[in-house]
Amino acid sequence: MERNKLITMIEIAIMAGLSFILSKVEFGALWAFGGSISLIMVPIFVMAFRRGWQAGLVTGLLAGIISLLTGGYVVHPVQLVLDYPLAYAVLGIGGLAVFHKPITTGRIFTGLLLGTSLRLACHFMSGIIWFGSAAPKEMPVAVYSFLYNISYLLPEMLITAAILVFLKKTAPSFYKQSASIGSSSASY
Amino acid sequence: MMEKMIFGRYLPLQSVVHRLDPRAKLLFIFGFVIVVFLANNALSYGLLAVFTLVFIYLSKINVRFLLAGLKPVIWLIAFTFLLHIFLTREGDLLFEAGFLKVYEGGVRQGAFISLRFLLLIFVTSLLTLTTSPISITDGLESLLKPFKKLKLPVHELALMMSISLRFIPTLMDETDKIMKAQMARGADFSSGPIKERVKAVVPLLIPLFVSAFKRAEELAVAMEARGYKGGEGRTKYRLLHWQGRDTAALIILVVLAALLWWTRS
Repeated sequence: MERNKLITMIEIAIMAGLSFILSKVEFGALWAFGGSISLIMVPIFVMAFRRGWQAGLVTGLLAGIISLLTGGYVVHPVQLVLDYPLAYAVLGIGGLAVFHKPITTGRIFTGLLLGTSLRLACHFMSGIIWFGSAAPKEMPVAVYSFLYNISYLLPEMLITAAILVFLKKTAPSFYKQSASIGSSSASY
Repeated sequence: MMEKMIFGRYLPLQSVVHRLDPRAKLLFIFGFVIVVFLANNALSYGLLAVFTLVFIYLSKINVRFLLAGLKPVIWLIAFTFLLHIFLTREGDLLFEAGFLKVYEGGVRQGAFISLRFLLLIFVTSLLTLTTSPISITDGLESLLKPFKKLKLPVHELALMMSISLRFIPTLMDETDKIMKAQMARGADFSSGPIKERVKAVVPLLIPLFVSAFKRAEELAVAMEARGYKGGEGRTKYRLLHWQGRDTAALIILVVLAALLWWTRS
């Protein structure tokens, strides 16, 4: 098996584990209906910027499954897929904005905005689907779902952005895939 | 902060539910999550509730743990219930006070939907309470095997998942150690304005990421040295055994679905 593929796989695994740990570092008050502001997105974006969007996608997928297995809640089959594996996996797509290009603050923001918007779309649809199946018909479910999800995703995105920009200044090597010490640079 | 963290929710007890094959449990829970939506009247919901209670009893899990799992959603359930009481206008008027009109249909709908949430959360929690994350991964890998034909890297995903789960406690220790080291140097993670707290996190993240990338590389070298060549022909340390009780669990689910179909209106 090719060395770089193996290293990427293991980096994904360890970063997904780190995502889980950072999801426990919470900022501000715990939000009422389950959502909370945490650093869970940081390792996912670092992987997406470092190894490309596919790597970010898988990191997010694993991080989502781990958070589901360790205390997620399930109220609807579609909600299960949208709120956990998919919502975190799509964050990785943000890697498209950065991978193989010089990293700049602008690209970090573009990637972050792309990934977080897709995550918002997942939580938003999940909210409509399962809450729509539960709430009385007169409820403006879409408005409610949007407002609720953006209420924690926006601050979470800003905190993640601040950290990713700090990391770019202090440890730019995290975003470069040749950064790992022993891997051969010849294969790039 | 870190001391409060218990990784996962698995409670290693001896019960029929614990001993079930993870594949059987996954299929069962997946089926249950769909079957729940068949219930639509008092009889079918009652049937589901009794069934769930028996399931909880068989798992020997203390109800306290199940109730703890409700914490993040209890407000949502209460909110949905109240919405139905105040907004659904079906059936007979029960009472009226100024604006407030409570209809029989609203109370009924609210109660049914809250009960459905409760049952779904209880049953899905039972999976994570009675099955360790690593068994769930093994079960998922085995169930998803047919998707290998569609080029889905099932083996690789399961391997990454196992490595991830294996390293979480190690990484947690490390996070704790770095946090304490930074705190000894005056870092403050838990107070002050948000901006300061975000800044304080960076010196925690950098050593954590550096050591995570280093660890990944060391592990890759170690695996390569031991001849890891991907999934083909790899044998497993933990083997799954499908037994009679696993088939029985799935038959019970089918019977439940049939009963619900029969009792629903």
